[in-house]
Amino acid sequence: MLFKEDAVARAEANAVRNNAAWYRWTHDLVQVSGPDAEAFLDLMLVNTIAGLPVGRGKYTTMLDEDGGIIDDLVVLRRTADVWWLSTLYGPHAVRWFDAHKAAFDVDYRDITQQVDMYAVQGPNSAKVMNALLPAPVDGLKRFQIIETSIGGIAVSVDRGGFTGELGFEVYCAREDSAAVAQAIEQAAATFDAPRLKTLEVYVRSLPMEKGMALRQDYKGLTPFEANLGWSVHMDKDFIGKAALERALAEGPKRAFVGVEIERESYEDIAQNEIVRKRGVPVGICRQMIYGYTVDKNIGFAIVDAKKVPLGTRVTIGPNDSPAIIVEPKWC
Amino acid sequence: MALLERVDTHPGVQTVFGKIIPQKEAYSYCLRTIAAFSANIFQVMRILNDDWEDRTEQITQIANMMNCAACAGGEDELFQYLDAFYDEWNIPELVKRAAWIGAIWGDYGDEAEDMAGRVIQFTEDRVEKELDTCPWDIVGSEMCNMTTGMFTANFDIASGGEHGEITNDVVLNMCEARGCGNPHCRVVAERRDRFGLEKQGWLDHRGQAVMPVHDTPPERRVKHAQGLRNGQYTNAFGEENSLDWQYNWVAQMGWVWSCSFPLIAIRDMADDDDEFERLLKIVFATAGKNSFIDPFAREGLRAWLDIPRSIGDNDPRVMGAYIQAILGCQLVPHEFEAFDADGVEIRVKQEDFTGRFEMAPLDEITLGYEAQWNGACHTLVSPEWSVWIEEDDEDFIINVGRRIDDRAL
Repeated sequence: MLFKEDAVARAEANAVRNNAAWYRWTHDLVQVSGPDAEAFLDLMLVNTIAGLPVGRGKYTTMLDEDGGIIDDLVVLRRTADVWWLSTLYGPHAVRWFDAHKAAFDVDYRDITQQVDMYAVQGPNSAKVMNALLPAPVDGLKRFQIIETSIGGIAVSVDRGGFTGELGFEVYCAREDSAAVAQAIEQAAATFDAPRLKTLEVYVRSLPMEKGMALRQDYKGLTPFEANLGWSVHMDKDFIGKAALERALAEGPKRAFVGVEIERESYEDIAQNEIVRKRGVPVGICRQMIYGYTVDKNIGFAIVDAKKVPLGTRVTIGPNDSPAIIVEPKWC
Repeated sequence: MALLERVDTHPGVQTVFGKIIPQKEAYSYCLRTIAAFSANIFQVMRILNDDWEDRTEQITQIANMMNCAACAGGEDELFQYLDAFYDEWNIPELVKRAAWIGAIWGDYGDEAEDMAGRVIQFTEDRVEKELDTCPWDIVGSEMCNMTTGMFTANFDIASGGEHGEITNDVVLNMCEARGCGNPHCRVVAERRDRFGLEKQGWLDHRGQAVMPVHDTPPERRVKHAQGLRNGQYTNAFGEENSLDWQYNWVAQMGWVWSCSFPLIAIRDMADDDDEFERLLKIVFATAGKNSFIDPFAREGLRAWLDIPRSIGDNDPRVMGAYIQAILGCQLVPHEFEAFDADGVEIRVKQEDFTGRFEMAPLDEITLGYEAQWNGACHTLVSPEWSVWIEEDDEDFIINVGRRIDDRAL
């Protein structure tokens, strides 16, 4: 949990918002390869993968047959036939692919233990990266990944991250991890960019302020209910499409919204606490966190789309913490 | 407007009189009955060993060894076990999972056992868990210390360079403990290399944390864990365990950590098995007799089970219904062989009754409950009626009947 008086967490958050900071992130990585990899991924994912240039990436969700989100991930095309999927938990994706491989000539494996990753985030992150790399990164586009080196160690660098700020991700072989971390630390120190230690700051607080959720927050929602309709390409086939067509016809039943807790803190609100409007259950909340940029206790919730418009006053959890329904993005 | 075709159905334990004990109530009762059984066992320990430090150290060491043994085996086996755990709980690499698996393990165990609270801090260097309630607080202070040995094992199993070795990378303190009378309870793990701390002994786990602890204001504390509040536990990474899963887990594992582990040490405190079993029967018989001394306790039971007034006070069916409710809430399969004014017979499989956790049968359940229920029967019904448990092939028959015993406890 994060509290407003936590000076360490506040300093870490401020470093990302106002300067730069770095941390070991290492979401899981699943490598997909083979002649049918592109077609296979296009069927698995709602966004159009076909035709993505080498070295570029896309955000997308992955659905079950009911149209519910089971994962959200970034797909990076490494070579013509090799793709990287950044997911929060690789084994789940691998099992899902096993169940749908059918006759596709495709290979996939969880390479998380072979690859390490460091995130450099913040408005001055490009300065840190430029001090690290042989060539500047200023021209990199979002989700563009390049092959480069740090102190002679081969690394891949993409422009991306999970803080809503300008940021970069450095991938390296696991055996090079310590050397890469040391190099980043030295470069970051030049710009007074600290290494972040508080997981909840960079996994929850910073992303949530910018409206960035984890796959667990979206679990079971359609992309339309999760405000991710922009990533769905209904003009191609994908798993869950039939269910989405029905959902579109029926209209959204649930809404993915933000909540602001009006009490000092949120110790009594776990994930999935019941949200009530005038005492009547109208949804469940996701994780709460303190946002140091907006100085509020904030969180996500899934509520009845018709009964709970923005601005609705609700209570959450066993002690009826008062809260207000807002857009799920704070800055 | 069309009416509903039928009322909704909800899970629960049905008493012999058709009253439904709702699932959440049955789950809470299950927890509390296991804790009460453990409390009786700890009384036996206190009789056998009057040295708090010595007995506490013994059970703490055993609990640590047994928790480590649960994950023992070759390195490959341990890694397979851990990988399965990471997979089940969706624990990603980014949390430095090998280092902090103890906290993740502990949190879901706490929640299943309705030790309600929250993880206050979860960083690379420090984990702080705050508990507001604990159904096991009746067991006493030795239990609180014993759990620190279990937590230490949880941390040690997957941390350090030598998996499965006791590396003690963290200092772990139960700074406050409900079993000692503190209003709420907190457990803090702090990395030794980060805070410059020495390795702890088995009785050193009740000190203060290095960094300040958080105090949740009373108005924001919780009375029950997530399962009882919301129907499921959700861990930090979004994986959910249903109330059904938690209930079944506790009905198995609650016996293991709170009874089986300490009993290994407690049995060794007695001169021999006969001495241990003599004391165990005395303690449990006394506990049973005291359960229904108060007239309102008897009336309360009648109301809880919906026992009709046509069944009088001096009727074995009152006791039979009570035992059946305990079995039902503890998820033990059973069936009635007889249920009338002449007596009650309940058939259970021996392996179900003693083997709540199949791999570790607990014969003390039979010894303890026979003595406890017999004692309870004397005050709930009358001393004319007794409870005894007979073996019948692979089953037990739990009897409530008339029996004259000139040496009755």
